[in-house]
Amino acid sequence: MWKTLRDGIDLRIGLKDLIETKLKGYRIPKDTNIFYTLGIVALFAYMIMAVTGYFLLIYYIPHTEQAFKSVQLIMTKVPYGWLVRMIHIVASSLMLIVVSLHMISIFIMGSYKRPREVTWFLGGLLMLITLTFCLSGYLLPWSQRSYWATTVTTSIPTAFPVIGDYITRLLRGGEHVTGVTLSRFFALHVAFLPPIFLGIVGLHIFFIWRIGLSTPGFSKSAQHEQPWTGYRRTTYPESYPFYPNFVLKEALMITIFFALTFFIISFMPNFFMPEAANTPANPFKTPVHVKPEWYFLAPYQLLRLIPNKLFGITIQILLIILFLLWPFIDRSEERNILKRPLLLVLFLVLLGLWVVLTIWGRYS
Amino acid sequence: MSLLFGVFSATAVGSLAYPLIRYLAPPEEEAGIKTVTIDKRSILTGKAKEVVLGTTPVIIIDRPGKGYIALSRVCTHLGCLVNYDEEEKRLVCPCHAGIYDLEGRVLSGPPPRPLQQFPLRVEGNKIIVG
Repeated sequence: MWKTLRDGIDLRIGLKDLIETKLKGYRIPKDTNIFYTLGIVALFAYMIMAVTGYFLLIYYIPHTEQAFKSVQLIMTKVPYGWLVRMIHIVASSLMLIVVSLHMISIFIMGSYKRPREVTWFLGGLLMLITLTFCLSGYLLPWSQRSYWATTVTTSIPTAFPVIGDYITRLLRGGEHVTGVTLSRFFALHVAFLPPIFLGIVGLHIFFIWRIGLSTPGFSKSAQHEQPWTGYRRTTYPESYPFYPNFVLKEALMITIFFALTFFIISFMPNFFMPEAANTPANPFKTPVHVKPEWYFLAPYQLLRLIPNKLFGITIQILLIILFLLWPFIDRSEERNILKRPLLLVLFLVLLGLWVVLTIWGRYS
Repeated sequence: MSLLFGVFSATAVGSLAYPLIRYLAPPEEEAGIKTVTIDKRSILTGKAKEVVLGTTPVIIIDRPGKGYIALSRVCTHLGCLVNYDEEEKRLVCPCHAGIYDLEGRVLSGPPPRPLQQFPLRVEGNKIIVG
């Protein structure tokens, strides 16, 4: 039965040939490590978000009077509704952790260097879109936390003279965060962002596939790399096939992702759900000690510390631009970060600063 | 040929971009309530009352020895609503720890300018704001 089906498919699309040339024939350098699978784990996490999101859409009502109630309905009345929403919430935070680890590991391994500058840039864009997904998504439950987080975020452009107020009005659809803002963010979350995200993912994968996977800058094979003067597909003499070897590593990491998701849901369900997330929005009462999601704690704390609003926001925008364009700024041919102590120290200081600001923001 | 192509492309893009931006821009809001009247006896000395003027949350404070003042509760930093700290006699923003005095002036924290003040007059037992 299975053989007949397989032969039938093979007759029509040349399945064996596809597997031999595109999967087994695609070679992965021997020096790659487990961190190289994080990109596919992030994509898998996105797929989980999409599927659970579709199911949430069945009950969610994007209206200020109904949004909070409909989310409560999902959590308390709809059979296993709480599970679908919890997967959506927990997977979104874990996805951001995976994406951050992916970017950090790519940086440490020097894999953003020529000819992979555009691949890094697209990955950075995907990280920003993921953050926009989170931001637009957490207004939707219309809770105290979501309302005030959105108020703060949409106020950020007001730091800029002349056009700042206009941009804020454009984002909110008026002077304040209202039902119009909810509709805009809902449309952004479910209709505008997904095709943009998937389009960039497609490009990102295309670049990786065409150029081939890199090796860590500190590995043996990286020492013998030739400078890139024209397009060539990287070949590694001691390589292994993408399928099944690398696919198995990816499967292991995806299983770990699932294990973590369900562990948090079962044993730490409030880990990503503070009290303000379960209180309906009140536009006339900012909750005391309101905090953003963990991934916005560092910028939040920085805004508290820097007394000048324009300066505080400008410095963060400059850091984002620097992050996106880093491969075009860092033109050194040395890929091994261990041979570049200044860059290593700068990276560790920035990473440490981010961790300190996050913890400080959480407990301040 | 390329000039024509450029001109028509620019016309097409411009003609599409303008309505798109106009579509996304919010429609003008109606003015809403321009004044709010409250009973003077509802605020004791040193206490405050929160009201809404149009769409703006406002706080009316009876400052000891200085009389009433009406201030916007919208923090000038990033738009959270300030709370009245009755013991310390100041207004505190819970989001980024901006602190204002009872005149609306910035005492500490990141707010770039004072809280907006609204005109207020007392007529008999009524306080009229706006």
